[in-house]
Amino acid sequence: MPETSRVRTISVITVLTTMLICAFFFALSLGPTTVPFAEFIPDDPLGMFATLFSGGDITKFFSDQTSYLIVYSIRLPRVIAAILVGAGLAAAGVAMQGLFRNSMADPYIIGTSAGGAFGAAFTIVFMGGLFLPVFAFLGAIGSTFLVYAIATRHGRASVETLLLTGIAISMFFSSILSFLMYSAGKSLHQIVFWLMGGFWNVSWNDVWLGLLIPIGGILLIALARDLNILSLGEEDALHLGVNVEQFKRILLFISSAVTAVAVSIAGSIGFIGLITPHVMRLIVGPDHRILFPTSMLAGGLFLLMADTLTRSFLGEMPVGVITSFVGAPFFILLLRRRMRA
Amino acid sequence: MIDVDDLCAGYGGEDIIREIAFGAGKGEFVGIIGPNGSGKTTLLKAISRVLDISGGVVTLEGRALKDFGQKELARVVSVVPQETAMNFSYIVGDIVMMGRFPYKGRFTKEDADDYRIVREAMEVTNVAHLKDRKVTEISGGERQRVIIARALAQQPKVILLDEATAHLDINHQVEILSIIRDLGEAVTKIGVFHDLNLAAEFCDRIVLMSEGQVRAIGTPAEVLTMEHLRDEYGITAMVQTNPVTGRPLIVPLSEEVPFALHGARIHIISGGGTGAGLMYMLTAAGCILTTGVLSPMDSDYAAAKQLGIPCISVPAFANITTAVCDELGAYLDEADVIILTAMPVGEGNLPNIQAITSTRRSRLVLYVPPGEEFTDCTPAGDNSFLAAIRAAGCPVVSSRNELYLEVERWVNVQKCCKCD
Repeated sequence: MPETSRVRTISVITVLTTMLICAFFFALSLGPTTVPFAEFIPDDPLGMFATLFSGGDITKFFSDQTSYLIVYSIRLPRVIAAILVGAGLAAAGVAMQGLFRNSMADPYIIGTSAGGAFGAAFTIVFMGGLFLPVFAFLGAIGSTFLVYAIATRHGRASVETLLLTGIAISMFFSSILSFLMYSAGKSLHQIVFWLMGGFWNVSWNDVWLGLLIPIGGILLIALARDLNILSLGEEDALHLGVNVEQFKRILLFISSAVTAVAVSIAGSIGFIGLITPHVMRLIVGPDHRILFPTSMLAGGLFLLMADTLTRSFLGEMPVGVITSFVGAPFFILLLRRRMRA
Repeated sequence: MIDVDDLCAGYGGEDIIREIAFGAGKGEFVGIIGPNGSGKTTLLKAISRVLDISGGVVTLEGRALKDFGQKELARVVSVVPQETAMNFSYIVGDIVMMGRFPYKGRFTKEDADDYRIVREAMEVTNVAHLKDRKVTEISGGERQRVIIARALAQQPKVILLDEATAHLDINHQVEILSIIRDLGEAVTKIGVFHDLNLAAEFCDRIVLMSEGQVRAIGTPAEVLTMEHLRDEYGITAMVQTNPVTGRPLIVPLSEEVPFALHGARIHIISGGGTGAGLMYMLTAAGCILTTGVLSPMDSDYAAAKQLGIPCISVPAFANITTAVCDELGAYLDEADVIILTAMPVGEGNLPNIQAITSTRRSRLVLYVPPGEEFTDCTPAGDNSFLAAIRAAGCPVVSSRNELYLEVERWVNVQKCCKCD
């Protein structure tokens, strides 16, 4: 790596991390009720963590109990979830764009979101929304497996076939989804809300599930060198010693699992997984060893800011509305710039 | 070194290539040629294991390639494809470093050795100065050199080239193939070639494929013959010798070959290169040719030798002796038709023409293309020799097509005579 791009990479990571930390604290503070920093930052943080890990009661570290509840029971899990989901979608987007050698690919391209939506709608209609995240997860990952199984022949799955199968399966699940919505009756509202994507129901349980995302992210970073080579084409990758079919299976599994976790927490939030990798590639270049961590930081940051915006100022509008509303024009801008270049 | 034995492979259960067998020794450069659809690229894909083989075996130093692990294989065999899609703007240095991938575990970082090998590979292919550039922003020739550097960074024993220069300009083709040839003894090279002249120029041996099978194997001169080119490519081509390198030089002819003249016995009297073209065309048509008298300095003589045409010759500037004249007379008597081309006539080759006047049995055709004429360099200088010939009332033609018609007509007349 040339010296200039090394410096650039380090500064980009530093800037993104700093921004993420700032956004994190502002997000905790902002909301329908603004909580000043002083009321949720304990006077003795070390003592608080010691008590927390020994299982003791930490409420005594905070002066204002109401503020404590708002920040730690409601906002903190939501803020963490938003960061994790944003990071997960961005990471999966990077993986899909590398695999499909196309910067127009997104995490949902192989049927993940349609499958997740089908799973969610299924439980909403037939089981009153019981185990919704589980069903969404199963739907998302199940449709990916289905796509892979259909696209595989003699142990090989070409990316073109995967792509087309993904489109077909997405359409198939969408039609079932439409049928479910048509016959949903009163619960239609709930399905529609879920589809738009948002964090209003997030609890600490979702955060625990969401911790799978950073694990997936680390695994993806470990695969980054292989993905660099694969993004030059499958035959080239074979000649350079990449076990292509096995690698594709692993990559598809990890990224669809990460996407499925994100979908099960927050529904199918659009554009994060498409825009973030695209923008970061323009800034740090295509090397996936750098693209994965920077995109995850940027994706987390973007989704956190969007969610804080809707939560604080837009009366809990589904965050998916904002990401698409901001993302689509931004994407068009990028496209126009690329057409000029 | 690397041996292909009885190899069969194809797509979807149907074999495209069948029973392929050849080998390449250490450091050798073997070219694979053949018309489109002959299975050249399929063969290369089967060797590089992109394609599963359905029969036979490829061995490297006695060990079957199919027993190699994927990374292990990449440490001994590298491939330079025709074109590498660059969807993402990687840095040139990073692309070449990818050649070190097969030597690295998942969590090992590139060390000083890797950087040295990458630097050396880039120096060999002359791209070291592009190290920090984006691969999407360099030219096609530079990019292909980067890919070759990457292939070299794999430190392979065998390098496979799949029409590696097909998309490049002639200067880059020669440059890149020179780089590959000059890799020397350390690397065995096997390359698929579209361009026969490049194959002839750079390869030690050539494998000619057609319809999925090997038709010929040998040195460029052994494989690149008029017959092979006619049978496998369906073209008429002159095979000359590159005067600089001594390699075969193929010049495809776009002109129609006069196949109707097959078997006609023709003697050509020419000189100064005026008959070479005719010799090629008539040989291609399957005529039985003789020629002379020529001097070995004459380019017509070189053409005759290359085509294996019997040719009477005397040293340059030497006089044609009576013995030679008798020999010529015998040739002329054998011929159905004699073709005399417009050429400079001096005392040296005047006996050629005099010999014609003394033979009555055969028909003579004068071939005078536009812009050419007989030049009288004899002391008389008045074209009197020409008058003697013209007196016999022979036809004069100015294009090859007219000539073919004239020859054909005469051959038919003679056939009829024989029938009678």
